[in-house]
Amino acid sequence: MIIVNLDVMMAKRKISSGELAAKVGITQANLSILKNQKAKAVRFSTLNDICKALDCQPGDILEFRED
Amino acid sequence: MGYNDGIIKWTKIATILFIAMAVVADIFGVVITQYIAYCWAGVFDTFRVVALIVMFYLGTVGGYVVLFSLLKLLSNMSKDVVFDRTNTKLMMIITSALVAIAVDCIGAGFIWNGAWILSIVALFMGLVVMSVRAVFAKAITMKEEMDLTI
Repeated sequence: MIIVNLDVMMAKRKISSGELAAKVGITQANLSILKNQKAKAVRFSTLNDICKALDCQPGDILEFRED
Repeated sequence: MGYNDGIIKWTKIATILFIAMAVVADIFGVVITQYIAYCWAGVFDTFRVVALIVMFYLGTVGGYVVLFSLLKLLSNMSKDVVFDRTNTKLMMIITSALVAIAVDCIGAGFIWNGAWILSIVALFMGLVVMSVRAVFAKAITMKEEMDLTI
């Protein structure tokens, strides 16, 4: 399964949820869905904006783990 | 939006008219059933006439379930609750009630043959509602997936 390691990257960059949500242009509720592994899909545009805001690669926030 | 609301409003009015018709049918139920038994079916023995009356009233109970579920469904639509599990549940209730009416009509068909046509009509309507329910269920799943796409 795909794990979203957004928390780790946010801690590294010392950025709060509200700040990241504002930078990416999504609501805090949607960011929380993403962080809590409840999201079914991520748009490339959202991923692009998150990577831009956190100055990282998609691989830094997404991880594949065997079920 | 106004256009859709108009459709919902008129459908609601039609449903209420059907409920009124069911009430009138219930009030004159005994007379109507006796007319059917004597004039259409040519049945005169008390047992079969009473059985037809009982089946007529059981059928109208099913009719009320269908009509009130339909009214609830339409109120949900006007409240913008469209692709929701409550609507698919209501459609399931409508289908079950229609199947129950069909079974009731099959029973009544042994006294008056014309009831079999009603049972086929009820089953056909059940099929239509079931198909719409399948579409709604699929749409709800897709909507949930869309809601969880960030």
